[in-house]
Amino acid sequence: MATVTLKNVVKRFGSFEVVHGANIDIRDGEFIVFVGPSGCGKSTLLRMIAGLEDISGGEIAIGGKVVNDVEPADRGIAMVFQSYALYPHMSVEQNLSFGLRMTGNPKADTERRVKRAAEILRISELMDRRPKKLSGGQRQRVAIGRAIVREPQVFLFDEPLSNLDAELRVQMRVEISRLHKELGTTMIYVTHDQTEAMTLADRIVVLRGGHVEQIGKPLDLYDNPDNQFVAGFVGSPKMNFIKARVVGHEARGVVVELAGEEKTRIVQPLADAAPETGSKVIVGVRPEHFGLAGEGDADLPVAIDVVEHLGGTSFLYARTANGEDVVIQRDATRVPDTPGITVSIRKSYLFDEKGLRLR
Amino acid sequence: MRYRNATAYRFLTPYLLIFAIFWVWPIISSFMISFQATRTVPWRFAPGFNWGRLIGDPAFFNALKNTLLILVIQVPVMIALAMVMAVLLNSPLLKARGLYRFAFFAPVVVGEVAYSAVFRLMFSLDFGIVNKLLNSIGLPKIDWFSNVTPAMALIMIAVTWRWAGYNAIILLAGMQSIPEDVYEAATLDRVSKLKQFFYITLPLLKPVIVFCAVLSIIGTMQLFTEPFLITERGGPGGGTETLGLLLYRQGFRSLNFGYASAVAYTMAALAIAITLVQLWLTREPK
Repeated sequence: MATVTLKNVVKRFGSFEVVHGANIDIRDGEFIVFVGPSGCGKSTLLRMIAGLEDISGGEIAIGGKVVNDVEPADRGIAMVFQSYALYPHMSVEQNLSFGLRMTGNPKADTERRVKRAAEILRISELMDRRPKKLSGGQRQRVAIGRAIVREPQVFLFDEPLSNLDAELRVQMRVEISRLHKELGTTMIYVTHDQTEAMTLADRIVVLRGGHVEQIGKPLDLYDNPDNQFVAGFVGSPKMNFIKARVVGHEARGVVVELAGEEKTRIVQPLADAAPETGSKVIVGVRPEHFGLAGEGDADLPVAIDVVEHLGGTSFLYARTANGEDVVIQRDATRVPDTPGITVSIRKSYLFDEKGLRLR
Repeated sequence: MRYRNATAYRFLTPYLLIFAIFWVWPIISSFMISFQATRTVPWRFAPGFNWGRLIGDPAFFNALKNTLLILVIQVPVMIALAMVMAVLLNSPLLKARGLYRFAFFAPVVVGEVAYSAVFRLMFSLDFGIVNKLLNSIGLPKIDWFSNVTPAMALIMIAVTWRWAGYNAIILLAGMQSIPEDVYEAATLDRVSKLKQFFYITLPLLKPVIVFCAVLSIIGTMQLFTEPFLITERGGPGGGTETLGLLLYRQGFRSLNFGYASAVAYTMAALAIAITLVQLWLTREPK
């Protein structure tokens, strides 16, 4: 087990900078998830920690020791690849033991480690099979097993579940969580799937365009996003963003009016300096923060396009009078069968024009 | 469905006819000719005539020995060399990769006569560059064309020069199809580059290596151009005569088509047999 510290880490490919000075402190035994859309630099960051990519600037330390110039094999890490990267010509047992055999690890110890990994991952009965005879989930287990036998200080996962079907993904997610509890090792996990991030992580690092947007516990990010990007990325369905304008200031806070909705005004308490009257802002409302008319701060009439009934809940895909799309989450028993309804906004977030949170 | 098939076959008929007349029939016909005494007019059916001669003919066994010797020495050396070339071509450090790839492939494109003439010049006793180089490092000149062993070596060097690059390109394609992350996993597993080559690259390339070996075996069994042009019709004194050359000599110099056909069928049978043994030896474990 070890801490991992990234200080001003920069990655350039030629003159093109893809990671712009990342600062992340990962605690001993923590499960941390790097999440962000494609091309945000999350895999590059992971590969730099592994040593598979050179570091163009800054410092990476594992267990307090700077590893910038340390060979990948000597960093005390093990990595699980998106494509599994199993050795196709070797049996499961050989896949697990290959690294240890090649480095002259004592035979008895190799056997012990392989047996333990196989038991943890419940693949003991597959030991003689070749990877092509395994299902996707089994291959993923073998890939994780290969990481376990190395007994690393830090596990690195590079989108390990993205090649699996939805059901298996949920199952493996639970297994990885269980594994973390069992081993207690520091784990760094890369995914573009915010659900995986929310369910697995002790803390999440949200990345965009090579910048760290926010680091925090899953629910902290959900409840208290720093900016519009994080607010939109975390949570499914994503937060609704509605254009608005500051129309005045009260003792309780700033008064904003939703675009095209003269009657829909929200008073938002702000600790920071309030934007001037007339400035444009964005109001963010999570789908579950819409209530029945009259229940919340302000009422908003919407036209319903599509209703999705999922059993316990329903999602209403609707439009405001200004033509902005909104998704409303409702209790399934309370969805009216009308073309339009008025909902109330029970809780909202305010962002400035650049997308920074106003609080 | 049956109607559609019939239509398809009607479209294929012109091709199938030509294929049958100019491909299938000559194969059958030459097999039948191998059972005929073709030195008499008219030819007569005499099954033992050519096949009987084959088992006792010193010229046949000489050609067989030469062919197999070239096969056993040249093919493995060439494939090993092709492998080294492929590894170098695959190196991320290499600049102007396309140029090298072309250069390695170029010998196959060069005309056989031109390349043979250049080899004869390069290995000439008195003014060849090879002997000049040998002399310059204090070694004696070698008479490449008058002695059997140097002549055989020359044939092997020439064939290797011509085909090593071709095989290297095929091996390179195989190497590039091995996913990069397998090597990354091995690197994290603390496996050295050399061990990665022997334990990952080689086993995963096995089907490609077998493919190259089979092509080379078939090619060598039919070897003709080099002994014909470089060592002047299998010289010195039949020292580099191959089965291909014997076939040519019997068929087109002595016009003994029956015997030439028997030799041709023996060559094909040997190529098939050797290939099958090789495929069996390198088969995938269940």
